[in-house]
Amino acid sequence: MKEETYRLNCFVENRPGVLARIVGLISGRGYNIQTLNVGPTEDGTVSRMRIDVLGTRRVVEQIILQLRNQVNVIEVVSRRL
Amino acid sequence: MAYGKGRSGAQALVESLERAGTEVLFGYPGGNVADIFDRIPSARFRFVLGRHEQGCVHMADGYARATGRPGVAIVTSGPGLTNTVTALGAAYMDGIPLILVSGQVPLSQIGTDAFQEADTTGITRAVSKHNFLVQSADEIPETVAQAFYIATHGKPGPVVIDIPRNCQEEITRSAYPERISLRAYHPESTATSRDMNRLARLINDARRPVLYAGGGTIAAGAARDVAALSRKASIPVATTLTGIGGDGAADGAHTLGLAGMHGSPAANRAIAEADLLIALGVRFNDRITGKVSQYARKAKIVHVDCDPSSIGKNVPVDLGIVADVKDVLTTVFSRVKAADRTEWLEKIRSWRESGRIAEKPSASGAISPRELMEAIDRRTKGDAIVATDVGQHQIWAAQMLSHRRSRHFLTSGGMGAMGFGIPAAIGAAIAFGGEKRVVAILGDGGAQMTAQELAVAAEEKLPIAFVVVNNRSLGMVRQMQDVFFAGNRAATVFKGKYLPDFRKLASAYGIRSRRVERADKLAAAVGAALSARGPFLLEVMVDPEANVEPMVFR
Ligand SMILES: Cc1ncc(C[n+]2csc(CCOP(=O)(O)OP(=O)(O)O)c2C)c(N)n1
Repeated sequence: MKEETYRLNCFVENRPGVLARIVGLISGRGYNIQTLNVGPTEDGTVSRMRIDVLGTRRVVEQIILQLRNQVNVIEVVSRRL
Repeated sequence: MAYGKGRSGAQALVESLERAGTEVLFGYPGGNVADIFDRIPSARFRFVLGRHEQGCVHMADGYARATGRPGVAIVTSGPGLTNTVTALGAAYMDGIPLILVSGQVPLSQIGTDAFQEADTTGITRAVSKHNFLVQSADEIPETVAQAFYIATHGKPGPVVIDIPRNCQEEITRSAYPERISLRAYHPESTATSRDMNRLARLINDARRPVLYAGGGTIAAGAARDVAALSRKASIPVATTLTGIGGDGAADGAHTLGLAGMHGSPAANRAIAEADLLIALGVRFNDRITGKVSQYARKAKIVHVDCDPSSIGKNVPVDLGIVADVKDVLTTVFSRVKAADRTEWLEKIRSWRESGRIAEKPSASGAISPRELMEAIDRRTKGDAIVATDVGQHQIWAAQMLSHRRSRHFLTSGGMGAMGFGIPAAIGAAIAFGGEKRVVAILGDGGAQMTAQELAVAAEEKLPIAFVVVNNRSLGMVRQMQDVFFAGNRAATVFKGKYLPDFRKLASAYGIRSRRVERADKLAAAVGAALSARGPFLLEVMVDPEANVEPMVFR
């Protein structure tokens, strides 16, 4: 399967340690994050992380499922760039 | 409850652990948990002092595996916490519910390389389901409630609560929450009635179905349901290493035993020939599947698991069902037709016959692993809880002991952590208040990794038979060297025959012991070990050349 860039928009609880957990989950499996952008949402208790990763569809789907398993992750939406 | 004048964070922690149902706390003290330890003597739960933090967490793990309730442990900051990493990993890989409380330096000192500071949330991230760094005493009750919820819902796992010392000292009025609200964590089933119908139809249409039970079956308390479905529809059941007992000891005719790398020929053959594989709470890891493209090639694969990220991760599946294994089995049961499948069961019977490994007696006349396991089995009849360490003895115990109940075979599967056996056996024995016989099956290598915990077995007078399967070597690795490295036994054979002298080691802890070297003395020695009132160490000198068979590589 060929590798492509996917953009993951993660809505997460705005708490210390959440960014590290998410970045760790991705990088700990050997995948390189190409772009990372973190910002607030209208709801001050929720942050949005926009993460671009390069990988096969299978791998990225797996990452998304594991992100959704995280206790502080509210939702993940993704699209291929 | 109102906390008018308030109480310390340390006291709030103890009360919260009580409220969450803690019966036993395993732990080891230190400066940054001193306030909490000060409150422990007046707590309603029992405290057990381990001798190393790895041991404490393996004990909590053994307690959880044997009971299904979360194990709870406490350690100090820095080295106390770093000592727990292997044990956390073992619990994490096998999905065991556990709470670890760790002390931390005061918030104001975090990040300064203070004395005994460690980045606990950073270090434990990869070996825990979740972790918390508490920011104020007020957060403690809510955090404890959430930690227990997370540890036991969805796929279970260890949760770490790191509590800075100033938060233990501060006064708080916050109460234990009546209900738990987690904004983002709602593990839930996405299974539909259509999925259930499809599964039932697949089973009804299958001619050669196989049920495959993993650790998730035991976590769901579904062993009996597996057996019931197996009996009704005449479906043979195989298990994974951590799924042992998860087949509810299906009828003899339906039991395939262990599948995978060291699995029974009948189990592996049945999976290879099956037209339907119903996998329940398994992860399909590499020890099970071998080469994925060759795995269960003729079968449609149904995968039921509470963890959505597990489905389709290693093996592509035809039907994935994200749900509690027990819920699925009870729903599907009435939709599945009773069937005989005599032809299929007959085939399996013949594979079982032909697959019986003809064992040659050892050239040296030394005790064979099978003689030992059979002697143990004759005494326990599958009623004792067996905890193992990691290595050849672990696989022999898995293959050769009879397994009749779930939560009676405790073993580190995913992590394969040597040192697990002794403390896990202790945790299980403590869970049953010394009322239940426990057998620890140990290698002479792994027994040396956590031998210090024998002190706990002695102190608590636990009815544990510590069986050291002594082959004077790191047998599992030695076997691998024989097969793949042309017999170059580098660093795997111990030099002295009695080094250490395990009998002297036992006596240092005031534990009675025996050593057996000859098969004709085995029955009596095993009898003594398994009828002792307290702990007993039995050292069995087995054939050092004995191998684990089969060993399947694809
Ligand atoms: C902590 C740890 N270190 C290393 C290993 C690798 N390893 C797997 S089995 C084994 C040998 C175990 O020897 P022993 O405890 O004597 O048991 P045996 O295989 O001889 O029954 C080793 C070193 C491991 N599983 N865990």
